[in-house]
Order: sequence, then C-alpha cells, then structure tokens
Amino acid sequence: MSLKINNALRIDDTCTHVRTRKAGCGKPEAPGLATGGCSFEGAYFSLAPCSDALHLVHGPMTCVGASWESRHTETSWEGRDHTQMGFTTDIGELQVVYGGEKKLAKAIDYAVENYRPQAVFVYETCVTALIGDDIDAVCAAAEERWGLPIVPIHAPGFAGSKNFGGRLGLEAVVSHLAGTKEPEFLTPHDINLIGEYNITGEMWQYVPLLEEIGIRILSSFSGDGRVDKMRQAHRAKLNVVVCAKSVEAVCKLMQKRWGIPYISASFYGMRDASASIRQICQSLGGAPDLVARAEAVIAREEARVQVALAPYRSLMTGRKAVLNTGGNKAWSLAAALQDLGLEVVATSVRKSGEDDKEKARMYLGPDAVLMEKPEAEQLGVISRTNADILLAGGRSLYAALKKRIAFVDVNQEKTENYCAYDGLINLARDIASSLGNPVFRLAGRPAPWERALLHMEATQ
Amino acid sequence: MTATTRKMGRKPLQVNPVKMSQPMGATLAFMGVNGCLPLMHGAIGCASFTKVFMTRHFCEPIAIRNTAVTEIATILDGGDRSVGEAIKNFLPRVTPEVIGLFSTGLTDARGDDLKGIASHIDFPIVWADTPDYIGGMESGWAKVATAFIEQMVQPSAKSEVRKVLLLPHVSVQPLEVEGLKDMLADFGLEVHALPDLSTSLDGHFGENQAAMCQGGIHLDDIRALGSCGMVISIGASMKEVGERFAVLHPHAKHLHVAGIMGLQATDALVEQVVHLTGAAPDARTKRWRQRLQDVMIDAHFTIGKARFILAGEPDRIADMAQALTEVGGTVLAAVGSTSSASLQHLPAQQVMVGDLEDIEDLLPDADALICNLHGHRIAQVHGKIHIPRGYPLYEQIGVQMKLDTLYQGGAMFLIDVANALIEERMRKHLQ
Repeated sequence: MSLKINNALRIDDTCTHVRTRKAGCGKPEAPGLATGGCSFEGAYFSLAPCSDALHLVHGPMTCVGASWESRHTETSWEGRDHTQMGFTTDIGELQVVYGGEKKLAKAIDYAVENYRPQAVFVYETCVTALIGDDIDAVCAAAEERWGLPIVPIHAPGFAGSKNFGGRLGLEAVVSHLAGTKEPEFLTPHDINLIGEYNITGEMWQYVPLLEEIGIRILSSFSGDGRVDKMRQAHRAKLNVVVCAKSVEAVCKLMQKRWGIPYISASFYGMRDASASIRQICQSLGGAPDLVARAEAVIAREEARVQVALAPYRSLMTGRKAVLNTGGNKAWSLAAALQDLGLEVVATSVRKSGEDDKEKARMYLGPDAVLMEKPEAEQLGVISRTNADILLAGGRSLYAALKKRIAFVDVNQEKTENYCAYDGLINLARDIASSLGNPVFRLAGRPAPWERALLHMEATQ
Repeated sequence: MTATTRKMGRKPLQVNPVKMSQPMGATLAFMGVNGCLPLMHGAIGCASFTKVFMTRHFCEPIAIRNTAVTEIATILDGGDRSVGEAIKNFLPRVTPEVIGLFSTGLTDARGDDLKGIASHIDFPIVWADTPDYIGGMESGWAKVATAFIEQMVQPSAKSEVRKVLLLPHVSVQPLEVEGLKDMLADFGLEVHALPDLSTSLDGHFGENQAAMCQGGIHLDDIRALGSCGMVISIGASMKEVGERFAVLHPHAKHLHVAGIMGLQATDALVEQVVHLTGAAPDARTKRWRQRLQDVMIDAHFTIGKARFILAGEPDRIADMAQALTEVGGTVLAAVGSTSSASLQHLPAQQVMVGDLEDIEDLLPDADALICNLHGHRIAQVHGKIHIPRGYPLYEQIGVQMKLDTLYQGGAMFLIDVANALIEERMRKHLQ
C-alpha cells in the first residue's frame, strides 16, 4: 500500500475547527455515524469545474459512476466541457490482483489522444491506493510522453473528510501547476479566486463587477478555471477565498512560497457582496481610483436591487425564517435573508467553525437560536418562534410540511443561483413563491376519512 | 436487417459511463426490505455517493450507514472492529430489524470476511460480498436477494402451491413491481416480491425513510418463504437467484422469464401462469392487453420508421429492445453497463458492453437515445431525442411512478416513445 496523502495539510492552525476538535478538519468521522462525503469527493468536486483539464478517476465504479455530470457547474471554455464528462479506469479484479498502473497509463494515453485536454488530473482512490499503484510514476512518464501537465491527486476516500480532500486536491494542483508560466503582463489588481466552483454560474454574478472596477481574475481554482491560468497563479497580488474556509491552509502555503496574502470573502446577499468588494479593494492597496470605481459600482448595484426587491418588501417584512444549511452559509445566507427584510430566528451551526458561529451570532443577534443539532431542534424552534419559512436541504422538507410552513431548498445540488446582487433577487422570487404557495398547507392535510372520523368522535 | 455484432469493451477506461457499482445495487435491494438498515463496509465516500444517487433519483431520503474505514483502519483492522464499532454507535439512535452488511472494493480487496464478522455480532445481520470492481448494479441487487434466501429463509416441510416468490431485477421500478404483484394476485396467487420496492420507494407521502427502510417485504414473510410452491425470476440477472431458491427448497417450481416488456414477453409470462394455475386472467388484464394491441397499431406509424440507441442495465435494455422491435422499431445499438446473458439475444444491429462514448459515432444515424440522465446532453449535441430511462435520473420527478412493463406499462412505454418522436417531427416541421 502506498500512501502519499499530504498529512501536513491535516493540521491547519488557521482552521478554527482546531479549537473545538482535537485534530482539526482531518479528523475522521466515527463508523456508523459518518454521513459526509470523502476526500476523493472533495478533491474531485473542487477541481472538476476546471473544464479544459480532463478528470480521470483511477478506481472502481462507485467513485464516479453516479456522480459525474451531477452538478450544474458552468464554464465559458469553448472547447469540449470535460467538467460534464466522466472518465474512469473502472478497475476490475485483474487490476486488483496484478496492479492498475498499465491500465492507467493506457487510459491517460487514450484520453489525451482522443480529447486533447490542456492537462489531465488523475485521482487516486481507496482501492488503487490500497493495491499500491505508483500513480506518481505513471503520471510523470505520461507527462514526459505528451508534454502536457499530468497531475496526480492523492486524496483517496479513506484519507478523511470532503473538506480535507478539497484541500489535498487544491494543494496538488497548486504545487504542480502554479509558477510554471509567467503572465504576459501584470496589473496591480490581479487576484486568484479560490474555492469558487461556479455552480449555476454563481461567480458570473460578481466577476463582471470586479472586472468593471478594474480587478483582474488571474486564475480561478477552479470555477470556470483554465490550466494555463492556474500555471500563472503565483503572480497574483491577492488570493480571495470564496465560501471555503477549509482551503485556507493552501493559501498559507502560497503566502509562504510567493508572498501572496489572502482574504476570505462571501458574495451571498447584498451586504456581504458589497463588503467583500470593498475588502478586496482595500487588500489590493486601496488606491483612491480603485475605491471610487468600486463605490460607484456598489451604489449602482444596490440601487438596482432595491428597486427589484420593492415589490417583495411587504410580503417579506416581519416574516420569520429558520435556516438550516452548512458552513459559512449559516451566516452569509442569513445575512442575505435579512437583506430581504426577513427576520432570521434560527440558523444551523452544525458544520460551522468557531468564527462562523461568532459571525452568525453577530448577524442574528442575541435572541436567535444557533442550532447545534438542527435535525432534532428545528421542529421545536419553528413552533416556539412561529416561523413562516424554513430554508434547508431537501431532507428537511417534511419538517416544513409537518408544521405547514413554506420551504425553500438551499443545498449544493440546487439549480437556482442565489449569489450576489442578482442572486438576491432570485432568492426573493423563490421565497415569495414559497410563501404564497398553498401546497405547504394542503399536502399534509388530513384525508377525508380521517376528518370524517374526527367529526364522528367529536359529535359522540 | 444486418447481422448483429456483439462486442465487449476493449478500452482501458470508461468515458461517460452508464455503469453503476455493485454496492449501489446492493443498497437498493436492502431498501426493499422493511426495517432494514444498509451498512456499507468501506470508506465514507462509497455510502455518501450512493446516498446522493438514490436520494436524487427517487426524490426520497435514503437510510444508509457506513463503517467509515480510514487508511489507518485499512492497515490495522480486518473489519471486525469498524463494523462492530459502527453498529455500537448507531444502535442507540436507530433500531432496525435487520442490518444489511455489504462490502466495497476497499474492504473486499483487503480480504475482510463478512460472514465471520457477522457471526461475531449479536444482532440480526444479512451480509453480501459486493466489491465494486466486480459486476454492477444488477449483480449487487441479485447478491442481496440471494443473501436473504440463503441466510434468512427457513426450510418448510409443507409447500403452498399458490404461494409465489417473485424476484424482480434491479431495473423493475416500484410501480412495475406492484403491477406484477397485482396481476399475479388476480390469478389467485399469494405473491411476495424480494426485494419489494413497491411499498418502500414508491414515493408516498407520510413515512420517513431517513432512519431505516420503511415498507418493502417484511422479515417474517422472508423467513416463511420456504413454503413457496413457485419462484418466478425476472431478467437474466435473477435467473441464478431463482435457481438457488429452487435448489434450497426443492418443492418450489422455478419459472424464469427473460423480460416483461411488450406483448410477446407479457404473453409468455401470462401463458405460463395460466398453465400453472389453471385460471384465466381477470377482466382488467384482458382489457389492458386489448389496449396494448391498439396502441401497438397506433404507435407503429412512428416507431416503425424510427432508429433507436439504448444504453443502461442489460435486463432493461433487452426488454426495451423487444418492445420497440415488436412495432417495427430499429435498434441501431444497445450498450449494456455490464456483460449479461440478456445481451446475447437482444435484437439490435450492434450490441456491446461499454459506455456512452461508444455510441457517439452512431448517434447521427439514430432518431432517439433512450438512457439515463447523461443521454440528455449527448443527444442534444447531435440534435436527437433523449427519452429518459434507467439509473440515474436526477432532473425528472416521478421516476418511481413510471410504468413500462406488462400490458398496461407496455402501452404507456410505446405512447411515451411515439409521442416524443411526433413532437420532434412537429418541431422540425415548424422550423
């Protein structure tokens, strides 16, 4: 068994999970209780949005068989969109007994010959790690053969959590690609986006605004990303981490190696989008002309959103919302809801780090409930607070139906875009249609025979 | 018609695969047993990917636990510890009637002995070896059905002639299982489906599937299957399961049918049941046969001129090919996810074990692609119709309510296909 998992990344002192859990994000979940995704999943979904690279999974069919083309990830790449394709060596018994290196080498050759990608990312999985395939050697030989980056990603599922895998994947790509090409020109406002996956085209809600202000996205890891741009990432003036605290460890490595500072940003809701734009400008030196352009754009966008939201105001004002989602969305989405005029009476902090909890408290105020066990708590919270709407993942739908309140699905397979200024308008539209939808009242109503029985009992 | 060419995939990789793994088929089979909690023995991702797959396909929460094997545990443990710990950890929170323990590539390659592990644990467990580097969804499902038969069904001295064990293959959808049960019951038979998705994943309001499987065949009924006088297996993937049952319970007569779609396949099943029971079908079944006959005539005008490409689980694509060719449809190619006896007699110009890349060169000559959600994008690129069938379908709703089998479903299937072709013709006409 060859284990090439970068354990240095396991302990990350920038990660606030460390304060509450002994070994940080890399700590494995308990058998029988684990519900999260694995490291491979984290690595794959954080890198696959780069659509000019080809993503080859070296493993059996569970790893990618049902999960390729499963997210609405957008790209502007004009070539064939490899993000929405599935490539796997689909190893069989023969490879388990005799090793899978030959099959992998042939698979890389086939993929490069037939699809001509800008790079191949080769994902190790549990079984190919266990049988001891030397993926590094196979990739190095293929890189030599094709004159193309062939990047081994050592994030097999059993290494740990999805978050940890995201970190392993990013680190592998940064180490392999960044610094291998110089940009044609530099601007004082070059940034990298990190942890933005462009699901439902979210980054396109704010990237054009940044560009209008004069900020250039030098490279993106990996939403709408390009291999060629990733190679130039070392020249960025700032790394902007979007909604993915777990990858800050990699930003630290980049800071150490190339002196690139980093900030964490969120573009959910109007307040956070505006604050993030301002923060990026300040972190880039805060030149007066840059700041002035930013303020002009922010003023224009906020005014536009206010006009678009006006018809929803009366419907939203005074309504109470319970939010059950993960990570930094616990507060960032809550802020967006507040921007709409809703009162957020509770949010889930089950998957949140300490500073996410602090921020949630800050946004929600002293009376709001921070739910540590949302599945168990949310029914009671809805009753106590008289909430009008639940925003959560699909599995909480029954809680809403039981309480006969409106429901909006906010999970990662979502098909709606709730990011930045236009996203807020989409969110308002969806909440309004939920609040006004009779289905939540009607779907769970008693059947006629049940009502007849109740009536008979009452009259007896 | 040109002679059929049949080939196995020779590529070193799968590009745009339609194959799903063996543990995924096993998970689905456990979801057809009431009170069962599937426990996947592997790293966390195997269960997570499977859960997301099933949840999105059926639009239902899916109960599944896993043993969260880490790289350290992979070296030090033989499975006893992680399985034992998993059960100890979840039992205070959920009490299933039976645990469905099954392996993945990681734990199978390591050589974990599930039978031994299960024997050391004082809780009802049914186990199956289902590494994902062997077989696919069909075999995983079949292995779990076999496991229940071998490990739970009690021998019975008496044989009840009218009691039937029905073994549907993995692609028989919940309402289709119900249709089979209903039709056989109309012959005066007592029918038990194993697994039975018709009362668990049929998408009904009210029960919470999140903790363990609710609905499906009951354990008491499984234990008492030994008295079945008849076992009916559907699809090549379930033939051996039926044979195994008949070996263990020799008084049971084994009836195997290759398919249940279209007029001839349904006629063959009904004929055998008529023969065995001496009864005639009820009025409803007869009426649906007449409706199917009528639909066949109406549908042949469009389907008779159309060329199809099918991809998916072998038992289902073989069935679809029969139904389409009965009304003159041409199957240019059929791509099975895994090798299967079903592919040997499949009426298509080309039959292969492969992926969606294999059919891209053929798509320009076809009118419609019938396969899972991945067909949508590929068909669109080539300006072809995509008719969604198979695993997984993430964007549609009501997948579990689809009815493509027997007389009634056969009619519905042809209507769906013909209307899709007609719609496309009208769209082109308007352009």
